[in-house]
Amino acid sequence: MCSRTRMRLAPVLCVLLLCGALGCGGEDTTRWQAAQQESKAQPKAVTEAALPGATFNKFFPKQDGDIDIVFKQEKLGFAQASLQRGGSPIGMLSVFDTRSNPEARDKYKESKDSIGGFPAAVVGKSTSILVADRFQVQVQSEGEALPAEDRALWLEKFDLASLATAH
Amino acid sequence: MARPLYDLVNNLPRHGLTCSLLGALDWVVPGEYKNITSFDEMIKNVTGSTDEAHIQKVGERAIHLFNDPSQGYQRALWLYQTIDSTQGLVGMAAFASKVAENVGFLSFLNRLTPKADTTQAIDLGMKLVAEIVAFCSLNGIPGDSIGDFVESLTDARHETRMRLGALVCVDGVLPLGPDFIIKATSLFDKMGVTAIASNERFQRISGMIPGNNSTDQVGFIKQGLTSIQGWATKFVTDQKVTVERIAGSLKGVSSRWEGSLDWMAAAIDMTTDYYEHTGIQTVARQCISRAAGEV
Repeated sequence: MCSRTRMRLAPVLCVLLLCGALGCGGEDTTRWQAAQQESKAQPKAVTEAALPGATFNKFFPKQDGDIDIVFKQEKLGFAQASLQRGGSPIGMLSVFDTRSNPEARDKYKESKDSIGGFPAAVVGKSTSILVADRFQVQVQSEGEALPAEDRALWLEKFDLASLATAH
Repeated sequence: MARPLYDLVNNLPRHGLTCSLLGALDWVVPGEYKNITSFDEMIKNVTGSTDEAHIQKVGERAIHLFNDPSQGYQRALWLYQTIDSTQGLVGMAAFASKVAENVGFLSFLNRLTPKADTTQAIDLGMKLVAEIVAFCSLNGIPGDSIGDFVESLTDARHETRMRLGALVCVDGVLPLGPDFIIKATSLFDKMGVTAIASNERFQRISGMIPGNNSTDQVGFIKQGLTSIQGWATKFVTDQKVTVERIAGSLKGVSSRWEGSLDWMAAAIDMTTDYYEHTGIQTVARQCISRAAGEV
């Protein structure tokens, strides 16, 4: 290849290399590529040993006054509901069987906080507790609607004692 | 395996006719829709988190959940994409029909192409069924749960509310008028099961439509249409949706969308893919929302 041709091709190669790293949408996707590769090799994300999501529904807080609990996703090992006040969402409630992602338990190991007698962790606008070393119960605020103390109160409204013995 | 979830979101366009269409219809779902075209931004939007380590964990879990075919996210995506890949054909058939109606010497085309209103009715019915089945698949409930779907309509948010609003405007009111549900169901009755079941769009997604045979499946589509009538009527009234308002907000967006209302509807069909666009955003939001509870 003559040097002039190489010079002409250089910008094209630069663009191609950049496109490879950033993806064609122009975003840097490097941080996600390892997870994608790992997932391609092992596509199963949920263990059959997890309890069905429907098992958890009865442990959620009950509707009361202008408070609505609108159930959303219900998958193996996971149940989720939108917490609404006067028709507007104020938070997202969920129960997760950590058997499908045991790493989720790590954050409770160092935890000094507890809610309802269970270890608690606050990450951003969500507060979670680990019930019976297995079930993660979480309250996530919609915007600024639920400060940490309100999230703790909502966690205590779950039937945690029954959830602890769910099987 | 499907394309990576982050690629699907990151490759969504920020400009173009689909984005212009959604922008022009913002008044139907005021303040509800933001065109998020970045996977990272979608995670921040769903979780409200700015902690990069947390964002990383949520994103990775979302990728795993999406890639597991048994979780239903890929099935929903397939529906949103497939219903739009047939959309151009609907527009084309409607266009050919309009040409045949408007240009005398091409009137023989009337024998070759279906009437625009019947193709638009099928389009509306198919998109609605795709929405119902995708909703069930995303939420982990049986695929024929029309009742749950109808209940969810009032608190549909973000991209889902935008898509439903666009469905009412572009595939309902604009081509078929304000009483579009009644008109579409009556057209379904007129067409009959055999004609609908031989339709290319029906055949493409028929494997996903609940029912043991074509009669059951067409019945399911009609049931779907009828079941949303109350919601659709309220939506049209509350948002003051009229043919004139829709046409007024869309005229001027593209010179390709000029002309009579049914021409405009057919042209939008051919030049946009709002179902796939907002469908990708919905699937990503669902995966991320679940992932946030699982890390």
